Amino acid sequence: MKTTENIKSLPTENLMSITNGKAKTDLKFAFIDNKPYEIKDGETILTFVRRNFGNELVPTLCDAPNLEPFGSCRVCSVDVALQENGSVKSQASCHTPVMSGSYIYPSSDRIQALRKNIIELVLTDHPLDCLTCEVNNNCELQEVAAKVGIRDVRYPEGKNHLHFEKDFSHPYMTSDLSKCINCFRCVRACDEVQGQFVLSMAGRGFDSHIVKGSEVSFMESDCVSCGACAQACPTSAISDVFESKSIAKVETTRTICTYCGVGCNLEVATTNGKIKSIQAPYDAEVNQGHTCLKGRYAFGFYNHQDRLKTPLIRKNNELVPATWDEAYDYIAAKLTEIKNNDGPDFIAGISSARCTNEENYLMQKFIRAVIGTNNIDACARVCHSPTALGMQRTFGTGAATNSVEDLKYTDCIMVIGANPTDGHPVTGAKMKQFAMKKPSIVIDPRRIEIAKYATYHLQLRPGTNVALLNMMLYFIIDEKLEDKDFIELRTEGYEDFKKEILKLNMDEMERITGVDRNLVRDAAILYASSKNAMSFHGLGVTEHSQGTFTVMLIADLAMITGNIGRPGVGVNPLRGQNNVQGTADMGCQPHQGAGYFDVTVPEYHKKYEEFYGAKLANYAGYKIPQMYDAALQGKLKALWLMGEDNVQTDPNTNHVVAALSKLELLVVQELFMTETAKMAHVVLPASSFLEKSGTFTNGERRIQRVNAVVEPIEGTKPDGQIVVDMMNKLGYPQADYDPKTLLEEISQIVPFFAGVKWDELGDNGKQWPVLPDGTDTQILHTETFKRGRGKFVYNDWRESEEIVNYGAEFPYILTTNRELEHYNCGTMTRRTGNNKILTEDVLMINSVDAKKILINEGDMVCVISARGKIDVKAKITDEVLPGILSSTFHFPEIKMNDLTSSIADSEALCPEYKVVAVQIRKSKGQYKINPQRELIDTN
Amino acid sequence: MGKKILLKHDHVSGIQGYEVYRKMGGYTSVERALKNMTPNEVTEEVKKSGLRGRGGAGFPTGLKWSFMAKPKGVKRYLVCNADESEPGTFKDRYLMSRIPHLLIEGMIASSYALGANTAYIYIRGEFFYIARILENAINEAYANGWLGKNILDSNYSLDLFVHTGAGAYICGEETALLESLEGKRGNPRIKPPFPAVKGAWDCPTVVNNVETIAAVVPIINDGGEAYSKVGIGKSTGTKLISASGHINKPGVYEIEMGITVEDFIYSDEYCGGILNGKKLKAVVAGGSSVPILPADLILKTANGKPRLMSYESLADGGFTTGTMLGSGGFIVMDETTSIVKNLWNFTRFYHHESCGQCSPCREGTAWMEKVLHKILDGQGSLTDIDLLWEIQRKIEGNTICPLGEAAAWPVASAIRHFKSEFEEYVKNPSSINDVKHYFEVNKLEMA
Repeated sequence: MKTTENIKSLPTENLMSITNGKAKTDLKFAFIDNKPYEIKDGETILTFVRRNFGNELVPTLCDAPNLEPFGSCRVCSVDVALQENGSVKSQASCHTPVMSGSYIYPSSDRIQALRKNIIELVLTDHPLDCLTCEVNNNCELQEVAAKVGIRDVRYPEGKNHLHFEKDFSHPYMTSDLSKCINCFRCVRACDEVQGQFVLSMAGRGFDSHIVKGSEVSFMESDCVSCGACAQACPTSAISDVFESKSIAKVETTRTICTYCGVGCNLEVATTNGKIKSIQAPYDAEVNQGHTCLKGRYAFGFYNHQDRLKTPLIRKNNELVPATWDEAYDYIAAKLTEIKNNDGPDFIAGISSARCTNEENYLMQKFIRAVIGTNNIDACARVCHSPTALGMQRTFGTGAATNSVEDLKYTDCIMVIGANPTDGHPVTGAKMKQFAMKKPSIVIDPRRIEIAKYATYHLQLRPGTNVALLNMMLYFIIDEKLEDKDFIELRTEGYEDFKKEILKLNMDEMERITGVDRNLVRDAAILYASSKNAMSFHGLGVTEHSQGTFTVMLIADLAMITGNIGRPGVGVNPLRGQNNVQGTADMGCQPHQGAGYFDVTVPEYHKKYEEFYGAKLANYAGYKIPQMYDAALQGKLKALWLMGEDNVQTDPNTNHVVAALSKLELLVVQELFMTETAKMAHVVLPASSFLEKSGTFTNGERRIQRVNAVVEPIEGTKPDGQIVVDMMNKLGYPQADYDPKTLLEEISQIVPFFAGVKWDELGDNGKQWPVLPDGTDTQILHTETFKRGRGKFVYNDWRESEEIVNYGAEFPYILTTNRELEHYNCGTMTRRTGNNKILTEDVLMINSVDAKKILINEGDMVCVISARGKIDVKAKITDEVLPGILSSTFHFPEIKMNDLTSSIADSEALCPEYKVVAVQIRKSKGQYKINPQRELIDTN
Repeated sequence: MGKKILLKHDHVSGIQGYEVYRKMGGYTSVERALKNMTPNEVTEEVKKSGLRGRGGAGFPTGLKWSFMAKPKGVKRYLVCNADESEPGTFKDRYLMSRIPHLLIEGMIASSYALGANTAYIYIRGEFFYIARILENAINEAYANGWLGKNILDSNYSLDLFVHTGAGAYICGEETALLESLEGKRGNPRIKPPFPAVKGAWDCPTVVNNVETIAAVVPIINDGGEAYSKVGIGKSTGTKLISASGHINKPGVYEIEMGITVEDFIYSDEYCGGILNGKKLKAVVAGGSSVPILPADLILKTANGKPRLMSYESLADGGFTTGTMLGSGGFIVMDETTSIVKNLWNFTRFYHHESCGQCSPCREGTAWMEKVLHKILDGQGSLTDIDLLWEIQRKIEGNTICPLGEAAAWPVASAIRHFKSEFEEYVKNPSSINDVKHYFEVNKLEMA
């Protein structure tokens, strides 16, 4: 605790005049123990005292760093007087604004007695079993009780709540409400942080108690297991199975979550080199003490028994264990053979957005400089490649223009083709909070969670994004809501664009999209007339045959309304994977190298050749879908996959399998034996993000430090080290994997990384571009666009070929989605407790359609497309409209991608996962479902 | 006869219905306000009248109205607090069930003054039958053009709704009331912000008691100045008093502020003296929350002046020797009354009604009840009296809403004025005349 002597208070003489109320000054003062201190605007007494004296002077119980003041425990009460040593009134400091000229006595005798009495009262209804309690020595009640000096509880035995039963129903969340002190922190965390409203207080007065849902268990409730309540609870009344609040841990490491593009900071506790639990740091700029259940709880996969622990080589059509050297030799021989006989372009690599920037950089360097081809792509191809391309075409930079923090400054959000509460839960929770309070527009074929809170939900037919956005643009122009100055000063091509838009027939657009034009008009007016409007989009925009055009229209909407280049506006793709931004930044694209330089432009080609000291190809390589086609045509013989399960996740599985089967060499770096790894010639066991260091770049261009929490699982190596080994093996000298030195190298070739230094990234990272002096950038395009002027380009809506070709025979439209509990192909989340919460893929179907094919909830439905046929369990819901179906591909048992097509975005070749023409019927007889669900060990 | 303003026509046959009410001059204040006055002029009249909040706190109504924030494009609300639940208080019940149109007329005129186009009457759930009376009256008002769009062609529109509570005393606290109105658990909000800035659905809101809103009608009809001439000093106008306890004529009385307490208790016009000619022991003058006063202090102030029925006179002497007018729930106790038992009953009520949000109140009310029960059970000790004193001290002023004080003051005043009775029970448990029997006859639950 700081002592008063250490604190520099203001000299009293300056204040004499103020206290007399005569002097005019902008500065405001209040007194703590009769010494004056300056007040900051909007401060409460508590923040004022803590800013000057630290956290120790005033104890609190119901206050928490990420919650609004609540004022219920009253432990933070302080004496306040209007004159020095005048008559005092005790006030709860946490919510009382500090008054200029007031005299605050934070620990007068009176106040100390009050605190003691309150805690004594609280303890009358609290089990005094501290020694055996999970939070022993890390309990806020214990700490405050010790501080106020409780020695005895004077109240006679009486009614209490010690008989409350514990709740162990849930794979993660636990409760022991006999330890509840009614501080409401869990209720507030559930309301204010997550916005789930599962926890609430029932009963009144002494009978008040926390309930989940309508007095059910955690498992039966609508809990999304984010763990905000467990972290907020000052005792162990609510906690988790990992006992994340116990201090039985020796070390904590701060790192970045690998589950999505939000980039949450995690604080991982380890005991004896094993991960014990995960909490979220309150000072994290990205997630402010919050995470979702994947970030906080789904780490059990890391030392799961299924982890690959030795390299495997295919011999006699079977994968058999081998040493690293054997594996490397095998690969080197094969690669050299193909390179010499067929040429380097018969070899390709696919990098991973799950890996670090440094690893991605190495991977593309390996393929380009060591193999000698531009056949390098990454999973961004199948998610946000249209975003990168569309935004590059319009603005010149393919990245989010603003930051998630801008939700604080915006007046309206528009969410298009994204389901943030499932896909990006922490940002999604913030958006949900926003939508509950302020105007919002949701454009999505499904009635997703956030749509229920939106001002306008435009529930369009899948595949009609371009038509719908053109409608919005039409109405903005029609209502004369354009920002003429912005268009004039910052853009080009507007007049032609406007002419085309105004030619559109709204009757036709209304029919195409299935959305009432008045609703679209109202939404357009809202977006255009809000002072600051911000758009967010996801894969519902990009995974279409017109994905790039849709992105360009979203950018056009921002430009036509001048919503670019200041806080609270912009175009903000919700990047899917944790480092999908970084993968492209690092050059894992067939046409652009590290830093987005076009490899076909001689100047850049030369620059790269000099930098890598190698001969490089000067023509673009294959994109992922082209790789499959090339393999089928015999033009591609070797493929190296770094952490990607293409068989389960890429569309049109049969096509993918056929292509991979044709390869002479398929190398897969993996954590687990995935569907793709099962087809490999060589499998290399890699380390997970918890076992290695590096950097991830999140969806708002924030480069954050990933710090190894534990040693690599025995037998595994970080992906980057595997690539380095291979480079050396093939004769290219490359130093061992080390993020610090690699970042130095990257900063010399990627201009927007110029000032990125490992040691200077700090806890919260930096948002690129980072200038050589280390200054980072929160908002792009403030003065000019990267390409000079923003470019308006009109594009007509076109029906997807899938519907044109198969729509008549397959009248339903299947679209794909994600569920909160699982991540992508589920290799990781299926090996955690998440698997007990969400156990299978289901097909969302409207009750109208369910009735048509005579199925009930839980019946098996046979879904047939032009490519294949699957059986999946029905979930009858109004989340989808009649004629529309939706499902996930988290589980390999349901081969959802047997149905999807090879149709892709015309520009970026991102597959059209979101529009599949299908027919449905009730399943008959035997289902083609694998009954052997993997045994799950949650550790 | 004393002056009657609000209950002038309460005994007129059929006054519940619109026709008779209108015939007796009803709704003229609305005509007057909407046709001849600006909203600000109405507020000014209310200010001039000196009307103070009749719910208990006595805050000047006109001033409260003038605090209403008026940001552009933001809705404003008037909410009538008809959650009359203070033990010993039943004046609003009488007024609403007897003359419902008076409240509705007052709501319209007040909403007009505040610029509210939506108004609510939040009524306690137990008053479901009165809610029906009010709804009928509201329907009549709509049918006759006093509510709805463009009232009296004035371009002013108002919709009025009745919202029933679910039986929680705490919802009489204005911010808990707003939470409940919004459909949430009735927990009081922290202040600031005050409802006048951020009230119902975060919009500026004024919450007024039934009697306060009713009083706006005569203020508009006869002018604020005329109203201010009734009463005494800053206690202008008349007050409805709910008289109960050991008196000959319990009921609701409209009194002109400033009559003596003695007159109120003993005159035939009001309470008609103590039941069965017994002696007066104590009075709780303003609803169960206000300090209890012994006979000598309720009839005369500490410096010997006659105690008057007014905000100032009842508060004379502070809490040491005075009390509060509060909601006007006037509970009279004769010499046979056990103050300790009475206190235990009050404390039981607050224990049951604490919302549970603030630790001192949630736990403190429970323990006060337990300690009192212990004393009444013959198990008390002298330190229990000190403990009781200490608990109430720690509750008072240390809670978000005034329920904490409401629970603490009866305890404090009972110990202050009747400590010997506690001591007697502790020292001589047999003096508690058969507690168990007491519980039985009163059908009370043993804690």
